[in-house]
Amino acid sequence: MTESSPEIQSILDDYQQKKLNRRQFLKKVGAAGIGATAAAAILASCGGDEEPAATTAAPATTAAAAETTAAPETTAAPETTAAPEPMGPTKGGTLREGYNRDVSKHDPITTNWYDPAFFAIYEAIVTVSPDGDFVPQFCTEFSVSDDGLEYRFTVEDRQSHSGGTITAADVAEFYRIQKFSFIASLASPISHYEVDGNQVVAKMNNAWVGTLGPLATGYWRIANINTWKDVGGYDDETGLAGESVVASVYGTEVVDATGPFKHTEWVPGSHSYVERWDEYPGSNVPYFENKGTAHLDAIRWTVITEAGQRATQLENGDIDTLLNPAHQDLARLQGNPDLTVYQHAEWSGYFMFMNRENFPEIFGDVETRRGLSHAVDREGMVQALLFGNGAATYGPFPTTDRFYDPAVEQYNNYDVAEANRLLDAAGWSMGSDGVRERDGVPLQFEFMVENESLQTAIGTAAAAQFAQVGAQADVNVVDRAVWFERAGGPEVAAGLFMWLWPIPIDVLTLFCASYTIPVPNWSHANEPRIDQAISDWQNAGTVEAAAKAQSDFQIAWAETLPNMSFINQNSTFVKNNRVHGWSPFVWLLYPYYNDTWIEA
Amino acid sequence: MFNFPDIGIYTEPVMSASTPESYLAEWNQRLLDFEESQHVSVFRRGIHNLVRNRLLLAGVILGVLVVGSGLVGPIIIGGDYELINFSNIHAKPFWDPPFEVFREAVVTRGISKLGETGEAFSKMVDHLRSGEAVLGTDHLGRDTATRLFVAIRVSLAVAVGVTALALVVGLALGTLAGFRGGWTDRSLGGVMDFIWGFPLILVAVLFAGGLGEGLPSVILAVGLVNMAAIARVVRGEVLALSEREFVEAARAGGLSNWRIIRKHLLPNILAPALVLASYYVAVAIIAEAALSFIGLGAQPPLPSLGQMVAEGRNFLQLNHWETTVPGLTLVVMVLSVSLIGDGLRDVFDPRLRHEAKGIDS
Repeated sequence: MTESSPEIQSILDDYQQKKLNRRQFLKKVGAAGIGATAAAAILASCGGDEEPAATTAAPATTAAAAETTAAPETTAAPETTAAPEPMGPTKGGTLREGYNRDVSKHDPITTNWYDPAFFAIYEAIVTVSPDGDFVPQFCTEFSVSDDGLEYRFTVEDRQSHSGGTITAADVAEFYRIQKFSFIASLASPISHYEVDGNQVVAKMNNAWVGTLGPLATGYWRIANINTWKDVGGYDDETGLAGESVVASVYGTEVVDATGPFKHTEWVPGSHSYVERWDEYPGSNVPYFENKGTAHLDAIRWTVITEAGQRATQLENGDIDTLLNPAHQDLARLQGNPDLTVYQHAEWSGYFMFMNRENFPEIFGDVETRRGLSHAVDREGMVQALLFGNGAATYGPFPTTDRFYDPAVEQYNNYDVAEANRLLDAAGWSMGSDGVRERDGVPLQFEFMVENESLQTAIGTAAAAQFAQVGAQADVNVVDRAVWFERAGGPEVAAGLFMWLWPIPIDVLTLFCASYTIPVPNWSHANEPRIDQAISDWQNAGTVEAAAKAQSDFQIAWAETLPNMSFINQNSTFVKNNRVHGWSPFVWLLYPYYNDTWIEA
Repeated sequence: MFNFPDIGIYTEPVMSASTPESYLAEWNQRLLDFEESQHVSVFRRGIHNLVRNRLLLAGVILGVLVVGSGLVGPIIIGGDYELINFSNIHAKPFWDPPFEVFREAVVTRGISKLGETGEAFSKMVDHLRSGEAVLGTDHLGRDTATRLFVAIRVSLAVAVGVTALALVVGLALGTLAGFRGGWTDRSLGGVMDFIWGFPLILVAVLFAGGLGEGLPSVILAVGLVNMAAIARVVRGEVLALSEREFVEAARAGGLSNWRIIRKHLLPNILAPALVLASYYVAVAIIAEAALSFIGLGAQPPLPSLGQMVAEGRNFLQLNHWETTVPGLTLVVMVLSVSLIGDGLRDVFDPRLRHEAKGIDS
């Protein structure tokens, strides 16, 4: 510290004696005519006690991760800033959480996406601990038979929000109906569910190490099936396709479950709102500190689809916690001493589907698909679009997945010369307008992209790179609903999609298995190698078999390109330091709210 | 010497005629010669009015600058608006270093900061000399200047397309409704009111749903709404003109409807319609930008001003110029068109012209 005016020295003394926090210090020196940069230099030179803790990678190896969980090499939840220690939980207050997507219907059976609210309203039969282990949530204990053909979950009758009771038989019935949902194939090795006293028994077609994974996700979270049937007018003859089920208000107006919060309001495009359930019987989750009713009065998830708005709303105090700020705002948030930033691998990825059944002249041969893939600078996209907050993906898996096979990195590297060579070899000759042609067909196709800033940027970047090798991808930005309506249809050649799922192998099979053509195998890909790998995975009774199947799957994907993987972003959660007990971790897509409380 | 209010001062010449008849004939001939000499071409009159009307002049100058940059810019600086460069994203424009010094000096009241001005200007000059990304780059490293000039072209193309569509169809339908009257007027008027009552964005969404997102949908949607507006005004003008004596006389003279419309009505409504159309050029530019902003207009990678503003808004704290530059360009374009529209109205509307001269009409 060099010479300074008495006024500045006085402010600095106050700061060093902790009479001022960092923000107050910056305000005061600003008022004294010192620029922000100079103030920061003063702080740096005197070493403020409130300086944020250094960012730690915290790469705790999760060898203890449950065998069925695709464990990442790092469970990093690095807090970039140290939150001050609270006095203790206080009751009350509404947590205002910014959510980067629109809110989905709060019905695990019929929703097409599950939101953070599912973690407040519902309980799954089991959930995942910060160490990656499966632990009881709805059940009190669970076991698997020696031959792996039977999973037993002990269930005590639990009261639900409506005052009804959910028994083991109700849970089994819930699972039976859940098997009709579009997502049920992810647990297809489970044959059926039976009831044995107070136990729910999952009978397997074959031993499968992946059994518990889907059961811990949002789609398998347990609703009071009696209420669900009553509200939806369900009957077995029409199943989920019945008109009354399709028009059901379950999940929008009525929700009946066992989580610590009750569904109160659901307004698509705006927010969803839940209130504390004061009759909550208590949690079975061993790592929750608060086993009883929630500390918070309520939680409100505000939809903030504008990427640039998310950080601003948090900084302005409009929200208390935030899921996934824009990548470009991350550094700023990390530098804010009032906030805590959590970052870890996200089980997600962006890929381009290529409809080869309806556009065989373009995507029918693997050389063309490979040629296009080599034109994409994935590392550049990570740096430019994610600001380094992610990784390039040359195969289907995020690079941090426990079963990630680095062998995929030999495929699909950025190599324009190789891209041109492959396209030449495939018979595409360069036209005078810079677009290649083959048999009179131009290498030109519609590339449908969802109307969201990052997806639009990824789509535009990919299209620009295709253009450099003579392929014209006409980016068509459409709303999410239109995207899903058109994808897989005969008119759309290609589209960009982002998947998000805590067990990558499970969900990725949906996008390339021959039995899911045309939706969600929008590429209409029919690759025997991939089908075989999927079958091997769903029959994997050991971790070794699962690892081999997943490796085969990744290599087959990278080689045959049913879809073209681009990048994988990290997941980022930010909270105001007034919020405590809100601790997202890598294994779950969203945090739980049982322990969350807000400083008065 | 006579003072003719409309044609100037006439000084009686020395006459050579000897008889009253020849004197009268010579006088008439000289008067005609004088009128001929005083005749001002439409072009000259336009230039005269342009110079006298400062706002119109400002609008024309701005318009020429913007349109000129859109037309000539891409030729001069070349480049590919689609070309991405991940190693040079969010680059700032050449004027940013001195601007930043000035801004920091103002914000922090640290006048000493101004001492860095020299270095900042030196950086600016270096940047300009390099000729690379003089207006900066966007989030994909694409050159803002190249994209801006193409975006101006897109805006102009949409504005011209929309206005042509609105003017031609609006004139035809408005004239038909006003001239025919009766059920034709009522039904066409109803349709126009119906269209005019629809929010522009909703119409655009409907067209985008039917035709897909893109400029054709924008042109049709904005053109349709603007057409209804022009048709309503034209109908009113035609209704008023139809009651005038010269139209009655033409009818009494047995002229066909088509001839009456072509010879007597259209020339009288064309001027106000053109003035109105100039206003709707500005509306079309703003509407295109708004629709592109929400993703219904120009589709990537084709740039448009609204789309550039939309793409840049997520990086305001990182490099606000990505939004500011296209935003200001949009302002200048609309301002120039509005000024030109106002100026044209002044030129064509005698009442306003007299008011401007201080003559009480």
